[in-house]
Amino acid sequence: MKILRKTLFRLIFILPLIGLASSLHAQSDPTGESPATRTFAITNATIIQAPGKMMEEATIVITDGLITAIGKNVNIPSDAEVLDGTDMFIYPGFIDGMANTGADRPESPERPDNLFTPDPPNYYAGITPENQVVEQIKVDENSIEAMRKVGFTISHTVPYGRMLPGSGALILLRDADHPDKLILSEGSSLYSQFSGAPGAYPGNTLGIMAKFRNLYRNAELSKSHSELYASNPTGIARPTRDRVSEAFYPVIEKKQPIFYNASNSLEARRAMRLQKELGFNLVLGNLQEGWDLADEIKSTGTKVFMSLELPKEPKDSKEEDKSDEVKRLEERRMEFYKKYVTQYAQLQQAGIKFGFSSIDARANDLKNNLLTIIENGLSEDEALAALTTNAAALLGISNMAGTLDEGKIGNLVVSKGPYFDKESQIKYVFVDGVKYEYDLKTGARKAEDGEANPAGMQALIGTWSYEFTTPQGTQTGKMIFTNESGMLSGIMTSSDGTPDVDLQNISFLNNELTFDFSIDAGGQSIDIVVEGVVDGTSYEAEASVAAFNVSFPIQATKDEA
Amino acid sequence: MIKTSSLFILFLCVSALHAQTKKGDVLIKNGTVITITDGTLENTDVLVRNGKIDRIGKNLKAPNGVEEVDATGKFVMPGIIDAHSHIAGTSINEGTSQVTAEVSMEDVVDPLDVSIYRALAGGVTSIHLMHGSANVIGGQNETLKLRWGSTNPDDLRFEGAPRTIKFALGENPTRGGRSRGIQPQSRMGVEAMLRNTFSDAVKYRDAWNEYRSNKSSRKVAPEYSLRMETMVDILEGEVLVHCHSYRADEIYMLMKVFSDFGIERLTFQHANEAYKVAPELAEFGASASVFADWWAYKLEVYYSTAYNAAILTKNGVNTSINSDSGELIRHLFHEAAKTQKYGDLSDNEALALITLNPAKQLGIDNRVGSLEKGKDADIAIFDSHPLSIYAVPQMTFVDGVKYFDIENDVADQRIYIDPESTVENVQIFYADDHDKCMEGANVVNFYDLFNNK
Amino acid sequence: MKKFISILSVLVLLPLFAVAQNDGGIVRADNSKFALTNAKIYTVTNGVIEKGTIIINNGIIEAVGANINIPGDAQVIDYSGQEIYPGMIDSGTRLGLSEIGSISEANDFREFGEITPNMQALTAVNPNSVAIPVTRVSGVTSALTMPAGGPLPGTAATISLFGYTPDQMYAGSKGVVMNFPSSAQRGWRRRTPEQIEKARERAQETINDAFDKAELYAKIKESDAARYYPEMEALAKVVTGEVLLYIEVNSAKDITSALEWVEERGYKNVVLTGVAEGWRVADEIAKSGFPVITGPVLSTPTRGSDAYDTAYKNPGLMQKAGIKVALRTMDTENSRNLPYNAGFAATYGMGREEALKAITINAAEIMGVGDELGSIEVGKKANIFVSTGDPFQTSTKILDVFIDGYKIPMTSRHTELYDEFLNRTPGLNKNATKVDG
Repeated sequence: MKILRKTLFRLIFILPLIGLASSLHAQSDPTGESPATRTFAITNATIIQAPGKMMEEATIVITDGLITAIGKNVNIPSDAEVLDGTDMFIYPGFIDGMANTGADRPESPERPDNLFTPDPPNYYAGITPENQVVEQIKVDENSIEAMRKVGFTISHTVPYGRMLPGSGALILLRDADHPDKLILSEGSSLYSQFSGAPGAYPGNTLGIMAKFRNLYRNAELSKSHSELYASNPTGIARPTRDRVSEAFYPVIEKKQPIFYNASNSLEARRAMRLQKELGFNLVLGNLQEGWDLADEIKSTGTKVFMSLELPKEPKDSKEEDKSDEVKRLEERRMEFYKKYVTQYAQLQQAGIKFGFSSIDARANDLKNNLLTIIENGLSEDEALAALTTNAAALLGISNMAGTLDEGKIGNLVVSKGPYFDKESQIKYVFVDGVKYEYDLKTGARKAEDGEANPAGMQALIGTWSYEFTTPQGTQTGKMIFTNESGMLSGIMTSSDGTPDVDLQNISFLNNELTFDFSIDAGGQSIDIVVEGVVDGTSYEAEASVAAFNVSFPIQATKDEA
Repeated sequence: MIKTSSLFILFLCVSALHAQTKKGDVLIKNGTVITITDGTLENTDVLVRNGKIDRIGKNLKAPNGVEEVDATGKFVMPGIIDAHSHIAGTSINEGTSQVTAEVSMEDVVDPLDVSIYRALAGGVTSIHLMHGSANVIGGQNETLKLRWGSTNPDDLRFEGAPRTIKFALGENPTRGGRSRGIQPQSRMGVEAMLRNTFSDAVKYRDAWNEYRSNKSSRKVAPEYSLRMETMVDILEGEVLVHCHSYRADEIYMLMKVFSDFGIERLTFQHANEAYKVAPELAEFGASASVFADWWAYKLEVYYSTAYNAAILTKNGVNTSINSDSGELIRHLFHEAAKTQKYGDLSDNEALALITLNPAKQLGIDNRVGSLEKGKDADIAIFDSHPLSIYAVPQMTFVDGVKYFDIENDVADQRIYIDPESTVENVQIFYADDHDKCMEGANVVNFYDLFNNK
Repeated sequence: MKKFISILSVLVLLPLFAVAQNDGGIVRADNSKFALTNAKIYTVTNGVIEKGTIIINNGIIEAVGANINIPGDAQVIDYSGQEIYPGMIDSGTRLGLSEIGSISEANDFREFGEITPNMQALTAVNPNSVAIPVTRVSGVTSALTMPAGGPLPGTAATISLFGYTPDQMYAGSKGVVMNFPSSAQRGWRRRTPEQIEKARERAQETINDAFDKAELYAKIKESDAARYYPEMEALAKVVTGEVLLYIEVNSAKDITSALEWVEERGYKNVVLTGVAEGWRVADEIAKSGFPVITGPVLSTPTRGSDAYDTAYKNPGLMQKAGIKVALRTMDTENSRNLPYNAGFAATYGMGREEALKAITINAAEIMGVGDELGSIEVGKKANIFVSTGDPFQTSTKILDVFIDGYKIPMTSRHTELYDEFLNRTPGLNKNATKVDG
């Protein structure tokens, strides 16, 4: 049996790799970028094969993308690149349960002329369950490298969009020349979220819940109809092609789960409510408020990927004479912060085997957040399980990933020092048997992204005249950047009398200037993000309005001092 | 419709799973008991067993283990019912289309809203969480009991309450039409849209009835529409309509439309000019749920009178007074008292405006709205007569469980706290801001967004 | 006065529908000499007279007391069993400035611009606003009517709720309104603490610049060469203390800042308005000696973490700390709810007597017209109302209202519609003969 499975494996995964390898062999590589060998051996390392299963002074061998040997007395193949694993700790590659990693946010859908109908076009309403995430994946998306750098090797990537953006896929976070080569499996999920269409139906949770039910019921009817027709078309009205309904068929057959992005507890309950009414298999992703939901999750058998995003730890006021009221309120706030950080341990103790999802988190925060979660009661083994075995089980890939065992995909995290030590650093990540090496940092910390660089700031300081082009015309005004004790500060004025706005999160690095601001539109605060490049005294950028999923060009030139 | 829709049955199953909300036992001793349906009884006790009123009488003894509350010198009345509220909802308007009968406030119940506790502290025990008034046929509403403290929205549902839906006439839906360049832009268009939609529903019902009566195994179902399912449920009387309305002409119009489609139960919300067609309302049997004294905030309420509730009551129209506001809901007893200044209603008539009458409008008068044996023990206790300006609510019970007690009132009632919030987050109350009926309905368009308006 | 009457006879007081009790007739205000007898009189400043008389002549209270000689030419009204109070003063409204809330053309309380202290609310008061009779028949006889908008939106005026021109209504007090830079949220819009702080700092700068200029202008304005600068002229009067400065400020933190700001600048003629979180810093306010206009009392608490009744308790807590407190509805069409705002304040700690002062004498004194309004005293303006009892009590009826000595018709849009529609004719059937019931 085991042999059979192994054989199947080879058939499914190795054959394409061989094809890949041979295509590489078909010509030389004048770039010098391709590896000299696809066989690696890391020796004398501490290997954590699976949570709680550790081997010291051991060796692991990866050949052609698969783990081929692991143990104390292992023959090192002659063509292997041997890496010294002294002081190194090797873990199974981490698995991200729900993310947009690798996907490129598509252009916002164009606003249709007739927006205000009960049933606006699906593309605008965000009802595109027939879409596949692979259509959005770009091999050079920055997020792939960003997530790999922190140890993630497989991502359940879901598409960008609104209510029903499409189906997700499992992708390997490796380099490739075509998105297809990243795909581990497609159709892993039908992805769903509580995001309404700007100004159109369904505009918010109310419409989304109703629309979901309506789509699901019609898909059931459409499925019966198609089956009836397929069995014998005579006398039956020919079903019209309905790709939206068809996308639900595997969900109705319970061959595909619905992944619901449910960050807060009310959203999670809503998703579970739909599940109870309609009966599909549900996975909650991005759950950030789960401490009151353990019973509900268990009784419904809902699968969960907890978010790796955490709130910032509240800072109590330093004032000495603060009132009892302030002290009490600070205590309560801290009590809730604790709920966020301890819920992982609590849910684990309640017997819920969750994985992690990164969709709302920044890659650079993930390790710190994991350490915080561990400080607050989740054991390192359980955290590792959530990153590896639990995630693999929840995604149905335990037979190919999640542990370091012979025959599994060569996905490894190699860290100097135990990974869960604060000071540890990742030295190598192997994805699909491909080695990625990282420099170990020593001594002084480098400036982090987002911090202003005082030396370069001068190019920006001053007044800029901007022009902002929207479908409704052009708006002009001034942007004024100042240096406030080493931090960039700025305001934006408008020549039409709109009140000034403050620029937030100003970042100016390597001539890339980004900032955001919000404006008041009819009592609603709209956030606008501006990203672009400064070239001398000119600035070319794009301003995007996330709420509407649109962007517009913005140009500015620096005024003479 | 279509015999109860399968969805509805599923809803029932879902709520059955959750129905185990807390029920209390208590003996309220020696109060002045305002029953609403059976007079006001001095020095009387109310015994509550397992969430229901077990006995009302004198010298009742507390069964073993049942808490006793001394109400000597205090006034005991049925819990207040607000027939028009927008507290405890995470969204209010799905205002993106003129007919959204399929959406339901039951999906957006927010048990974490501190306004719930503040309403309890004003003696309120049930609210009608309504969809907004941006569209002609808005969403379904949800009747709630204010079981504060749970994080599960299901715990707040008024189990067994009839389904209701929001309609809206006049300025709000026509404003939507005008800003978008579609119908309706006038009260003519509103009527046409109502008639068109009901006519569609009749066709939809016929199509499904035909499908259901077809005995063939090889039949194909018509398209399913949750929107039309709800419209059919209205036609069948299973969903009660609560219609946002102001002017007498539009109120009259809707009664005619409903007569034509055979729909019998109807409550007009706000209905500032209902007094002008009080005889017609009485004859139709329609109810009105009104403000005590709000007017002049828009053109269609300019010709209003604070005597509205009194005129309606005296013309035999079942009338309630509602809040539509997280502020007013805290003193509905005072709002009801204004009908004594404006129209000389009796104590009992005035208090019925916020208890039994709204209960009837919501179809829950078999459960709440008066103090009677067998009814739910939803009770408010005041230190003086609730219509007095000097009355302070003391305790509020839902199903015999005490959710507010002025003696044990904790200031900070928040159930969830955002750890990233500042401790001193101050929100100043402005009366202009608190008409939430249109919240979220003002769809921001690009023109507004990039033009300084 | 003759002229006044002639204007009165030309202008129609209350048009509209035929009123039941005087079909076809027009009720006019009456400024005879009045003797109001046998009433329980709440003078506010000199206790309660159990059974007393008030003589009104020429718009003034000529006599008040238990044993008063009734002049032969006086119209005697026997108010046995009734109570008389000084007319209530609403210390914050938009009466006369706003007719229909949602229609911008019907609103005149907001002018374009940030620094517009020269904008005069009094100019835009519509004496025939439908809300005015609705308000005064409830016993509210005077109101502060205020402009709104930017940091310095304009000059508010105290008005009598009777008269046919703004000047006939003007009650002798004006004050520049200033919205102190706020660190609080308002409305549905959510802003980050950083955004609020930035906006607050900028508004503070704007205000400081304006007052720096105003202080300079106050010094040079007598010079012939001084430029025409109406904005600064208006502010200069604040600097010199000629007119009041109403500082709208609400959160505890902002109140503290406002008090510091005033102290730094040395302005004396200052009133704090709003003051929703005054109870948190009541001692500081008391120490400053500045009076407070607060309300609406019927408000939600300012913080999610606050007790449900903080807004009800706020006036009482401030008053007990030694602050002179007046109340406002900050409403327009429902300024008539002033006594109920006072009633809630009374119930939640202020007590009935102090709450009554807060809508009468305190209000008058704060606005600088304490010698003319706010109590029943000889020589004061005859602004009074007669009620069936405690005016805070919701069921109490207001029987008569006198403003500036005029006995006001007790009708308004609301009463007229009641009279017309209680028993509508025709009823259901237009062709049926009306049977009197």
